Amino acid sequence: MRIDYRIDTPITLHAAFDVEGFTVLLGASGEGKSLLLRAMAGLTPAQGEPFGGMPPQHRAVGYLPQGYALFPHLNAWQNVAFALRTQRRAQALQLLERVHMAEFAERYPATLSGGQQQRVALARALARRPQLLLLDEPTSALDPVTRDDVIAELISEVHEFGIPALAVSHDPHLAAVADRLVLMHERRIIQIGSPAEVNANPVDGSAARLLGHRNVHRGRIDGARRLLWQDGGIAFPVNSGAFEGEVDWAIDPDAIRLVHARDNLPDAAAVSIEVRHVMGRTLQLGVRCGQGRLWVSAPVDQVVSEPVAVQLPAEAIRWWKRHS
Amino acid sequence: MKSTAPRSRISAFISAATLLLLAAPFIGLAFATSWRHFGFADGDGNAIAVSLGYSVLALILIIALGTPLAWWLARHRMRGQWLIDALLLLALLTPPLALGLLLASMYGPYAPAGSMLERAGLVLTNSGPAFVMAQFYSALPYYVIAARAAFESVPRELEQIALTLGHSPWRSFVHVSLPMAKLGLAAAIALAWVRALGEFGAVLIVAYYPQGIPVKLWVNLQNIGLDAVYPLLWVFFLVAMPLPLILGLAARRRRLI
Repeated sequence: MRIDYRIDTPITLHAAFDVEGFTVLLGASGEGKSLLLRAMAGLTPAQGEPFGGMPPQHRAVGYLPQGYALFPHLNAWQNVAFALRTQRRAQALQLLERVHMAEFAERYPATLSGGQQQRVALARALARRPQLLLLDEPTSALDPVTRDDVIAELISEVHEFGIPALAVSHDPHLAAVADRLVLMHERRIIQIGSPAEVNANPVDGSAARLLGHRNVHRGRIDGARRLLWQDGGIAFPVNSGAFEGEVDWAIDPDAIRLVHARDNLPDAAAVSIEVRHVMGRTLQLGVRCGQGRLWVSAPVDQVVSEPVAVQLPAEAIRWWKRHS
Repeated sequence: MKSTAPRSRISAFISAATLLLLAAPFIGLAFATSWRHFGFADGDGNAIAVSLGYSVLALILIIALGTPLAWWLARHRMRGQWLIDALLLLALLTPPLALGLLLASMYGPYAPAGSMLERAGLVLTNSGPAFVMAQFYSALPYYVIAARAAFESVPRELEQIALTLGHSPWRSFVHVSLPMAKLGLAAAIALAWVRALGEFGAVLIVAYYPQGIPVKLWVNLQNIGLDAVYPLLWVFFLVAMPLPLILGLAARRRRLI
C-alpha cells in the first residue's frame, strides 16, 4: 500500500513510501513518526493518501497507540466488541482466540501485562476490519525479558491476518525483524529496503546509528589516508581513495583487534576496559579510547591481558561523507 | 509501623473532633425538637411537593444544558479562556440574595427580558418557572465546574481511539466520555441537587410563591416560631438526602472495583 502524507502543523513533514507486510518506520524520537500515524488515522490535520480528507471514523485503519489505550472501564472482550455492531460477544471472543487471549476475556486491562494488552488492542483494531494497521512504538511498553517473544507473536499474527502493518519505532530490534524497513532522519526518508539490505549498507552515519550499529563516530580523513578521531588525538589508516574531509565512520565490534599495549604494534591505540559484557559465547568489551568509547567483541575464552590496545584494520572501517 | 502509630492516632483524634464539630448543630437539633408536639404547620406538605418537584425540573435542565457546556469547556482551549472562567466564578461567588435581585432586574415583570417573556406567556416572577429559574441559576455553575473536571479526567486519547474504531463523535461521547466521567458526574449532580434544593436567597426574591421548603422554614419561623421550623427541617433532610447519598455511595463502590 502506497503511503503519501504531508503535515504542516505542528511540524512540517512529508513522507512517501510503500507498506508491505510488516513495515517498520525507524527514526529517532521527535521526528514526527507518531504524528504521521495520527495523521493517517485522521486524528491530526494533514493531506495525503490513502484516506485523505476522511473523518477518523470512516478510515479503515486499525490504530494501536503507544500504551495501547484500552478502555479501562471495559474488560478484554468488551474492548474488542467496542468496534463490533452485531454478535458482539461471539465475534469478540473469536478475535481474542486468534490472538491467544480467549482465557483473559473477562479480565480488565489493568490486570493484564503489556504484551497481553497489546494483543487485546490488536484484536480490537482488527475487529474494525482495517485495510492497514498502524502501530505506534509497539515495543516501548514491553517487559525486556519477554519482549522478543511478544514481537515474534505480533509479527506472526500480523502475517496471519494478512493486513499490511506500519509500525513506527526507534527500536533497532523491531526494525531487524521487519519485512520492509524505512529509515527517517531529520524528517526525511533516507533509506528503504529489507532489513538485511539496509543493515549491510546503511546509507550514512545517521542510518547506521538508527540501526543500532555500534562504534559509529565522527571523524576526519586527511590527505595521508588517515582517519583522525577526536580532533586528531587518535588516528588510524583508512582506505579513503582521494577523499579528504569530514566523515562519519564505523567499525564492526568483531573486526577490532585486541593487542597487548607493550608490544608497541603500529597503529595501535591504548585503551582501558570499562565494561565486560558476556553474551552467550561472545564477550563484549566497552573500552575507553581517549575521550571516546569503542565496543569490541571477542570469544568469551580469549585471554585479555592488560594493558590493552586496539587495532582497527583499514579495510574494516566504513565511512560516509558528512552532509554539512 | 511503630513510628507512624502516634501520628495516625493524632490524625484520628483530629478527624473525630472535626466530625463532632460538624455534627454538633444536628445533635442540637435532635435535642431542640419537641418530639411530643411534633407536628406540621399549614402548607408544609405543599412546600415539600414544591421543593421536590421543581428541584427535579431544575436538575434536569442543569444536566441537559450544563453537560454539553462542561464537555466543551473540558475539550477546547481558546483565546480568552479566562473570561469564561471568570464568568463561572462570578456566578459562583454572587451572594444568593444578590443573584435573586439580578434575576429580578432581568426577568422581572418590568425588566427587558421579563416583560418580553411574559407576553409570550412565561411569567418569571412568583411562579413555578421563576422558582426553577432561581434554582437553575444558583446550582448551574457548581455543576458545570464539577462536570468539567470530570470530563477533563477522561484521557482524550481514549475518545480518539473510539473514533478510529468507527464510532461517531456522539457515540464516542456516550460510550467512552460519559461512562469514564461518571464518578465525577455523579458528584456534580449530587452537588447541583443539594445546591438547588437548599437555595433560599435567590428563590426568596423571584419566587416567594410558590413556597419551597427553605422559604417555608423562614415563613414558619416568622409566623409561628422555632417549633414550626424543626419538623419541616427533619422532613427536608429526609427528602434531600437520598439522591446525593446514593450517588456518592454508588460512585465510591464503583471505584473499589
